[in-house]
Amino acid sequence: MSRKLLYVTLCIQLFVLAACTEKEIKVPLEDVGMVGIIAFDYIDKDSMKLTVAIPQYSPEAQRSTQTFSVTTELVSNGIVEIEKLSDKKIVFNQLRVVLFNEEFARQGNIRKVLQHLYRNAEVGNKVLIAIVKEKGEEMLKYNYPDKPNINFYLNDLLQPSINTAFNPNTNIHDFMYTISNPVFDPTIPFIDKNSDKIEIKGIAVFKGNQMIELITPNEALIIQAIQGKKNLAPLDINMEQGHGKEKLLIDLVENDVHIESNKNMHSPKLTIALTIKGTLSEYKGARENDLFTIESLADLEKDVNKELEQDIKKFLDKLNEWQVDPSGLSEYFRMYHRGKWTTEKKREIISKVAIDVQVKTSIISTGTLK
Amino acid sequence: MSTGKSKKKLLNAYHVVFLAQSVMIGTGILSLPQQLSSLGYSQALMPLIFGVIASVTLYPMIWINSKFPNDNLFRINEILLGKWLGKCINLFFVIQFLVFIAGIISNYMHLIQSTALQEQTITGPVFCFLLLLIYIVSGGIKSIARFCIMTFFLTIGFLYFTHWAFEKGDMSHFLPLFNFFSVNDFYEALKRGYLSVLGYELVMFYFPYIVDQKKAFRHSLIGIWISILLCFITTAISVMYYSEWQLEYVEFSVLNLFKAGEFSFIERIDIFGITLWVFLILSTVAAYLWCAKKGVETLVSKKSNVYLYILVAIIFFVVKMPSSREFQDKLFTSANYVGYMLILWPVLLMMVYVLRKKKQVQV
Repeated sequence: MSRKLLYVTLCIQLFVLAACTEKEIKVPLEDVGMVGIIAFDYIDKDSMKLTVAIPQYSPEAQRSTQTFSVTTELVSNGIVEIEKLSDKKIVFNQLRVVLFNEEFARQGNIRKVLQHLYRNAEVGNKVLIAIVKEKGEEMLKYNYPDKPNINFYLNDLLQPSINTAFNPNTNIHDFMYTISNPVFDPTIPFIDKNSDKIEIKGIAVFKGNQMIELITPNEALIIQAIQGKKNLAPLDINMEQGHGKEKLLIDLVENDVHIESNKNMHSPKLTIALTIKGTLSEYKGARENDLFTIESLADLEKDVNKELEQDIKKFLDKLNEWQVDPSGLSEYFRMYHRGKWTTEKKREIISKVAIDVQVKTSIISTGTLK
Repeated sequence: MSTGKSKKKLLNAYHVVFLAQSVMIGTGILSLPQQLSSLGYSQALMPLIFGVIASVTLYPMIWINSKFPNDNLFRINEILLGKWLGKCINLFFVIQFLVFIAGIISNYMHLIQSTALQEQTITGPVFCFLLLLIYIVSGGIKSIARFCIMTFFLTIGFLYFTHWAFEKGDMSHFLPLFNFFSVNDFYEALKRGYLSVLGYELVMFYFPYIVDQKKAFRHSLIGIWISILLCFITTAISVMYYSEWQLEYVEFSVLNLFKAGEFSFIERIDIFGITLWVFLILSTVAAYLWCAKKGVETLVSKKSNVYLYILVAIIFFVVKMPSSREFQDKLFTSANYVGYMLILWPVLLMMVYVLRKKKQVQV
C-alpha cells in the first residue's frame, strides 16, 4: 500500500515538475548550416579574414554554395559574426577542409587556430588542411563552371589518391601531431587556383609554426618514401648518366625503406636504404631500342639508382641546411637517446647529420610488348 | 554464522571473473594515457606494473576473507575492530563509496556534455542513469555480475576501432624503454593512474556469495589481468599514435583514438564510443552502489531496499551539488585517494587478526 502511494506521489511530482523546465530549443536539420570549408586569410598580426563555405540545398538559390566572410580576431568570435549574416545556425560537424593563405602560414599563428578546432568536439580529426597561394576567400567565392560544388571539389582533390601520393594529406590530427612532436616539422599541401581549376602545386614545409619553403611534388615524394608510405606515386625521373638526356617513368609496385642511425649525438650518421620495385612504363632517350635484354635493364637500374641517390641526397642536404625535418629523421636518434628530446636537439642533429643514401631499384617488367 | 548458507552462494566462476574485470574498467581508462603522461612515452608499460601491484594486493584481501567465509568486509571490520570502531570505519567507507560513485557519474556526464549533448544540461541524463542503476542494483549481486558479463561482450568490440590508430602509429615511440628521469614522475603517474585499475577490491564485499571460495583468488586474478591487458593496449596504442604533448593535453585520448578512422557509412565513431561507454560506467557504479547498500545494512543491522533509494538520492545531490566545479573536483580526487586506502586496508586487518589469534592462544 505504502509502495503504491510512493509511486503515485512520485508520478504526480514528476508531472508537476516537468512544467518547471524550459522547453529546449532544438534546431531542425533544414535550419542548420553545415560548414564544409573554412578559410583564413591574413590581414595583420591581430586580425584575419574568416570565410566559410556552406552547401546550399535550396533549389531556388542561384549558386550551390553559400559563402560568408568576416574580419575577426578570434575564430569563435568570427563564427558568431557569421551567424548574424546567415539565415542558418552554423555548425562544424561536417567540416572537411581548412584553408590558410600563404601569408598566414608564413606570418600568422596556424597552430593557435588549429588547436582551437582540435579542441572543438564537433570537429572531427580527419579535417584536411591546405595552404592557398593567394586568398582563400577568392578560391571559395569563385564560380567553377564545370564543378558541382566547391565543398566536394576541394575535399576530393585533397583526398589520398595514387597519382598525388606525394601529398601528405595533412589533417588536423597530423598537424597537431607533427607540430607538437619534437622530431617532426609539419608539411601541408599547397594549392593554387589555375584559371577554372585548383591544382596541388607542391608541399609547404614548416619550421616550427612558420611556413618557410615550398617544395615540388617530386621532392615531397621523397619525404613520403622515407616515411615508409606504401603505394607511392609513379616516379618521374629525368637523368643524365652518360647516355645523354633520358626521361623515364616507373610505376611503383613495391617500395620499402630501412633507416639506421649510428646512435651518436655528436657525430650523427644516418643510412637510408630504399628498395623500389616497379614497372618501366615509359622511356625516352638514347637507349630506347636496347632495352630488351636483361643486361641492358640491369644497366638502366644501376643508372636509376645513381640518379635517385643523388636526388635524394641533394634534397635532404637542402632540408638540413634549412634545419627542418619533415620526414622525422631525428626520431632515429631520439629512440636511443635517454632524457628529454627537444626541438633544439632536432635542429642540432639535423644540421650536422651525415646521410648515406642507398637505392636499389628493380624493374620487374616493361609491359607485354617486346 | 548466518542462516540459509546455500541460498547465499550465488556467484559462479564466470561471475567472479567478470565482476573483477568490469568493475575495473570505468571512466578511468578513458583518460588513462593522460593520467600517466608525466612519464611521456615510457608510460606504455605502466599498466603491467599496475597489474603486478593489483595481484599482490589482491592476496591479503582474499586471505582475510577466507578466514571469515560468510562475512563481508563490513562485518569483518566490526568483528575485528570492535563494534564502535568498526561502525565508524564502515560509515567512512560508505561515504567514500558514495562520493566515488558521484565522481564517476559526474566525470562521465561531463564528458557527455562536452561531446555528445552540447546544448543540454545533464539533469535529465543523470536522472535516467540513476533509475537504470536502481534497477540493476535491486536485482542483487548476481544481476550485477550478469550485467558485467553482458557489458564485457558488448564493449569488447571497441578494440577493433583502435586499429586505425595502430596502423598510423609509430612503433619507435616505445624506445628507449623506461626513459623517465625522476622517482617523482613515476610516483605522480602511479598516484593518478592507479585509479583506473581500482575496482577489484570489491571482492572483499561479495566474497561471501562466491560458490567456490577456494578458487576465488585465481578467478579474480584472471579478471584483473583481462582488464590490465585492455589498459596496456590502450596506453600502447596511445603512445604510438600521439606525440608527448598530445598525451598530456588531449583529455579523453581513447575517444580520439576512435576518431582516427572512419567507415564509408559512419564518420564519428567516437560518439558511438561515448554513448556505449555507459555500460562500462553502469557496471562499475552498480557494484560500488551495491557495496554501499550492504554497508548501510550492516550499519543499521536491518535489511531493506529503501536504503538503496536514499543512497541514490544522496548521489544525485552530490552530482548536482550547487557548489563550484573546483570544490567538486577536489572532493572527487580526495575520494579517489581514499580509495587507495581500501586496497591496503586488508593488510591492517591481517595484522589485527594475527595479533588476536595470538592473544587467544595465550589465554
